[in-house]
Amino acid sequence: MSSKESYRVELRSAARQLSDRCLYSAAKWAAELLIDIEPDVHAPASSASSSAASARATPSTSSAARPLSHLHPDASAYRRRLRSAAASGDIAATPPAGVSYISTPVPDDDGFNSDGGNDRYLLAKSYFDCREYRRAAHTLRGQTGKKTGFLRCYALYLAGEKRKEEEMIELDGSLGKSDVVNSELISLERELSSLRRIGSIDSFDLYLYGLILKDKGCESLAVTVFVESVNSFPWNWSAWSELQSLCTNTDTLTKLNLKNHWMKDFFLASTYQELKMHEEALKRYECLLGVFRSSDYIQSQIATALYSLRELDEAEVIFEDLLRNDPYRVESMDIYSNLLYAKECFSALSFLAHRVFLTDKYRPESCCIIANYYSLKGQHEKSVLYFRRALKLNRKYLSAWTLMGHEYVEMKNTPAAIDAYRRAIEINPRDYRAWYGLGQTYEVMNMPFYALYYFRKSSCLQPNDSRLWVAMAQCYESAPLQMLEEAIKCYTRAANSNDSEGIALHQLAKLHGVLGHSEQAAFFYKKDLERMEAEGRQGPNMVEAMLYLARYYKSEKKFEEAEFYCTRLLDYTGPERETAKSLLRGLRIAQTAFPSMDIGHFGS
Amino acid sequence: MAGGGSLKEGGSPVFDITPHKIAVCHLVQVFALHTQPDMPFAFQSISQHHRLGLFLFSLTRSCESFLDPSLEELLNQLKALGGLAMLSEHLISNLLVLSSPDDLFNFFDKLRGVLAAPEGSSMEEEQTLLDPNSHLGIFIRCCILTFNMLPFEGVCHLLTNLVAYCNSNDSTYEMAEDDDFNGSEFHELLEDPEVYCEAAEFEEYGLENDAQAAENLTHIPSKFLSSFLEDNQASDDPRIKHGDGGSQSGGLIPLLNNNFRTDDNLGVLRSRWQIEGYLNMQADLLEKDAISFPLYSFSATLRQLQKLAPELHRARYLQYLNALYHNDYLSALDELHCYFDYSAGMEGLFSRSPSPSSEFEVGRFETALLCLGTLQCHFGHPKKALEALTEAVRIAQQNNDDSCLAYTLAAICKLLSEIGISNMTGIIGSPYSLGTTTGLGTPLSTQQQLLVLLKRSLERADHLKLTNLLAFNHLALAKFDLKHVKKPLLSFGPKASMKLRTCPTSVCRELRLSSHVLSEFGADGLLQLNDTGAFSTSWLKNLSAVGNPWLKKLQKPRSLSVNDYDTFQFYAQPNPMPGSVLQLAGASYLLRATSWEHYGSAPLVRMNALVYATCFADAASSSELSLAYVKLIQHLSVFKGYTEAFNALKLAEDKFSVSSTHIRLLKLQLLHERALHRGNLQEAQQVCDQFGVLASSVTGVHMELKTEASLRHARTLLAANQFSQAAAVASNLFCTCYKFNMQVENATVLLLLAEIHKKSGDAVLGLSYVLASLSFCKTFNLDLLEASATVTLAELWLSLGSSHAKKASSLIYQALPMILGHGGLELRARANIAVAKCLLADPSYLVSEDPDAVLDPLSQASEELQILEYHEMAAEAFYLMAIIFNSLGRLDERENSAASFKKHVIALENPQDEDNLPTHGV
Repeated sequence: MSSKESYRVELRSAARQLSDRCLYSAAKWAAELLIDIEPDVHAPASSASSSAASARATPSTSSAARPLSHLHPDASAYRRRLRSAAASGDIAATPPAGVSYISTPVPDDDGFNSDGGNDRYLLAKSYFDCREYRRAAHTLRGQTGKKTGFLRCYALYLAGEKRKEEEMIELDGSLGKSDVVNSELISLERELSSLRRIGSIDSFDLYLYGLILKDKGCESLAVTVFVESVNSFPWNWSAWSELQSLCTNTDTLTKLNLKNHWMKDFFLASTYQELKMHEEALKRYECLLGVFRSSDYIQSQIATALYSLRELDEAEVIFEDLLRNDPYRVESMDIYSNLLYAKECFSALSFLAHRVFLTDKYRPESCCIIANYYSLKGQHEKSVLYFRRALKLNRKYLSAWTLMGHEYVEMKNTPAAIDAYRRAIEINPRDYRAWYGLGQTYEVMNMPFYALYYFRKSSCLQPNDSRLWVAMAQCYESAPLQMLEEAIKCYTRAANSNDSEGIALHQLAKLHGVLGHSEQAAFFYKKDLERMEAEGRQGPNMVEAMLYLARYYKSEKKFEEAEFYCTRLLDYTGPERETAKSLLRGLRIAQTAFPSMDIGHFGS
Repeated sequence: MAGGGSLKEGGSPVFDITPHKIAVCHLVQVFALHTQPDMPFAFQSISQHHRLGLFLFSLTRSCESFLDPSLEELLNQLKALGGLAMLSEHLISNLLVLSSPDDLFNFFDKLRGVLAAPEGSSMEEEQTLLDPNSHLGIFIRCCILTFNMLPFEGVCHLLTNLVAYCNSNDSTYEMAEDDDFNGSEFHELLEDPEVYCEAAEFEEYGLENDAQAAENLTHIPSKFLSSFLEDNQASDDPRIKHGDGGSQSGGLIPLLNNNFRTDDNLGVLRSRWQIEGYLNMQADLLEKDAISFPLYSFSATLRQLQKLAPELHRARYLQYLNALYHNDYLSALDELHCYFDYSAGMEGLFSRSPSPSSEFEVGRFETALLCLGTLQCHFGHPKKALEALTEAVRIAQQNNDDSCLAYTLAAICKLLSEIGISNMTGIIGSPYSLGTTTGLGTPLSTQQQLLVLLKRSLERADHLKLTNLLAFNHLALAKFDLKHVKKPLLSFGPKASMKLRTCPTSVCRELRLSSHVLSEFGADGLLQLNDTGAFSTSWLKNLSAVGNPWLKKLQKPRSLSVNDYDTFQFYAQPNPMPGSVLQLAGASYLLRATSWEHYGSAPLVRMNALVYATCFADAASSSELSLAYVKLIQHLSVFKGYTEAFNALKLAEDKFSVSSTHIRLLKLQLLHERALHRGNLQEAQQVCDQFGVLASSVTGVHMELKTEASLRHARTLLAANQFSQAAAVASNLFCTCYKFNMQVENATVLLLLAEIHKKSGDAVLGLSYVLASLSFCKTFNLDLLEASATVTLAELWLSLGSSHAKKASSLIYQALPMILGHGGLELRARANIAVAKCLLADPSYLVSEDPDAVLDPLSQASEELQILEYHEMAAEAFYLMAIIFNSLGRLDERENSAASFKKHVIALENPQDEDNLPTHGV
């Protein structure tokens, strides 16, 4: 695959450009990906030469893009060809089809004509690295270069953000709590918008502009700006993820006018995941894995998707692998901890918690993992304490809010639970877990009708989750409401969407029995029985099902079936056994007198 | 103490110190220390000093502007006081001096000197000091205390705000430099090319300070509301500035009329107490007249408020109300749940006790359920509403929330009585099943349950001293008594005591009790709760109006609809009755009108409706007010004919929006009746169909509407001479009414059946129906209907042959007093014709002897019928007259009558010709 080398070149220069502009997390992302590209075993000569070129390019920033610029012409021709070829199957296109031929912007205007400019840039960047943002911006005042201009704006923005955070803490508690805004937004926006109007804005500035617009709440314009940014410089993962956070539904996603670049696949995959289209996400990631064979990022995303699809074992294997490769990884380890929590692996979870604690205890993910551990241990107070810490570190940490809500429910502190769930919904109104949690809270408070609203909301967001339908059905079924018809409808939905716990079938059978629909009841009991047999389970439900079926078949005069169930019942102990015995006796009598219907009636 | 209100709410720092408060503190200082030699400012007169005192007093009390007014505004108000120009300058210069944290510390230090020592030990000094316990004293103490509690960061913030506050004063002149204003807004506007142009003009305005551009402001303000705070302060200043020009007032009226007046720009918040006052006021307004609230802009304001004050969940409640009254089901539901999730019902809705329970307890979600029930009821989901209310009852009982229980019961009563429900089995088995009857196992009818619930609710309300609810329950009981025979609840026992009659006296008693309860409002302390400083606010508002003649001019039209206060008569009290009480008191008048409608006294209906429309219009919600109008217009149509009624309807439609259900129904009723009278059966049928569509399709719901629809349907069929079909519809209707215990309607239906048989010529069968109807009328005291039934009875007898003429005429004479006193045009005409017919059929009567005995009633009837455009009967009257004239030999008059007869017959056959009035598109 010849494109692999070009990927490498692109990423290499992108990582450098990004870190020059102090966009560290994007740079980190690009660099990680660069390492993850599968080395070409049978590397053709061209790749060797270009890698040599890039090796030559390493020492100076300005020359980094040169190999790309001479790659440019033939590439666009290739793209044209591809366009006609891939026009039909665009969506299913594998990464190679989406190779971008947009050249990396040549940083020629970085304005290091005079040495003074470069020096100032160096100073400013050092200040920036020491987190003295205002000082960095001040150093760069009056500089005209693109890079310096961006750095100045970005430093100002971050300075404003920092001040905003501080003020938020200062003003906490009083009425003017969250009216704090980044005071730099207005002037920055003015500057960047005028830059955009005269057309001398580059993709990094566009990214910053998008951030500002998003903070201000002009979301549609922000989307446009982010799209412009990623179209001209696709390797800025931060821009993609901001764009992703603005795509809250598939409509917005399909309307985006994105150029076909392989980074788009990363974006689409992660957006699909966010929109709970896990299957699609998995498909894309598997394609990407063809190029970035050893990418931890892709692996972790795949594991997350698998976890969301409740494929716990597969996901666990991947997570274990990840940890083995990168023992100091903290990202997405909170998902792993959720998984371990769901599987109730005490020791593994404690091991993970210990590990991340030693790596970096002040990461929100670390706190969340520790909290999960305590929760699994049943120490809910401590768990809440660590969730709180996680939230202090990142107040937009969605799953921490929801999980903390669960803890509060366990602690019977309903007001706090409701508050936590609501905070989660504030951050992301599509979080079905939080809605579900709210419903559960109200159900605990014995308000099933009120809870229904929340369950409805949550099942609307996650229509194929049987747990939500079961919860809703239980509300309808509860003593105060007694709306059995509705409950049956919900249980049917649950049974149709792969109810792993098997509550739905049993309840369906039971409810039909209560309502006197004996035929349906028998049908569902039978199905439930089959399911339990298939899963090799035993239990009172089984006895109940068999007893009902025996009685039902007896009343239907299908004595053979009735006898079959009765004899099976004899294997169990308890009062049912006696009932089965007497039933059998009755059956014999009925069978001998079978020809005459009347006597059969008396017999029963 | 009044000033302590803001501190009542305990722990959290509800009393924010703001630049505006600093300015007020400074003014108070000047006010208190005016005798001191070192004060640079001297008052010209004592009265001026007093005026300042009053001004300060109301400044610290006013509540409507939940945001601080700008300095500009404050200065304008000061100017309005007269002769205090010096003071303004003094104030500005003093505020500008405060430029470092230390200055602020010194300022508050000095402020402490204004307060007298608590024991009054050093009174010998020649100073008028503030009593620390006076209103202003408490205000100053609050300010000092809050300042002292501020951390250094807080002081820095205050200083920043103060600078912005002072700058806003002359921002009008600095718009060009103050580019932020345009910059921030510009790009939001860029997304929308239309607004973009306006924004461009606006920018221009910033540079040129052009009076013309002020008009642009009116298009944009709601946009600005959502923008940054400091920008907003600039937006109102130019308005006042240019106001003196008076040239562009036309463009500014919308700005005033919508609810975002100048003082609503969101700047620095005032105390929580005041915001709540504001929100309560908005809630009242919203209920009264939702149409005047634009859905989106109001919710934008609320959202902004929410952002500024996340602890103040009441804003969400307002969001809910806003969505509710704009019929946005989904968002209303969302907001409702949101509100209660955040507040956990702790803020309470009715028992707004200022003591937040500090103890840890589960939220009061019964209130949430109550609201949910009302919401579902509002949107016409009676079953869901009932479920919600049932759950509310359960939770309220569980949490021992008696007042909520009482309210919930009342809500259930309202649901049962107004919307109706098909199946009550769900509730009977529920845990709150109705006391006495559970053991007996006899299922109660919906009405019986209603009665029991009402009584229970009444008892509770009385016990808990919930005056409003008590009054409401009395009204509901009166409503119940009006339409239902009270049967003993237990179905066994001595039946002799059963008295199957409705009791007008008990209706009257309940009505009086209701009003009586309300009159107790003045006596007990309930009044204080309601005083949220609204009065101070309105006084302040008028004050600025005085200073600004142009503003005053604009306020005039508003003052027509709102009780306004005199500008300088501070002692003139505002209306002492809270709005909700007025509403209930008004409702009793409305109910009186309805009861007289049933008992058959048109003049009293009109009088009561008039009283309501004139005296309670301020407090009334638009739906109730429209009901009063409907009653008045109905009266017009019955007594003055359709032309006048439609004219009045036009006015009513202008006043209320077309969406008002009462008005819509009225229009359909009028259209249908007119079409029937004119013989335009096609149109009548169309209107009938429209009627049917209005009701919900669920059985047992909207019974009154459904009854009316099928009643009208039967009547249309009758007019089309399709007797068997008409009879089928009517008897079907009778069955339904019987099933749902709608006895009053039964009387009407029976009478209709009698009419059908009369017209189809089956007089004997008709007799039995009319007699049954008569007995119903007697039972329910439906006097007018009884008179009408009597006329029908007479007509039936008459049609059985001339031998019954005597009996018929005696029947009619018996009913005549009632008919002439209270009856409408149609009934009177019918009676008159019947009188004439009786005489004509009487063999002992000779036309030639006393022609006037028949001619008088006939001519009167024909006149009235012409007003009504009732062609069929008018033709009949003219026909009889023509025959009489013929037999008398008065040929000219005979020709006239015959010509009139012909005219009406032709009109009857070609109903479309006179279709000139609006018919469809209701």
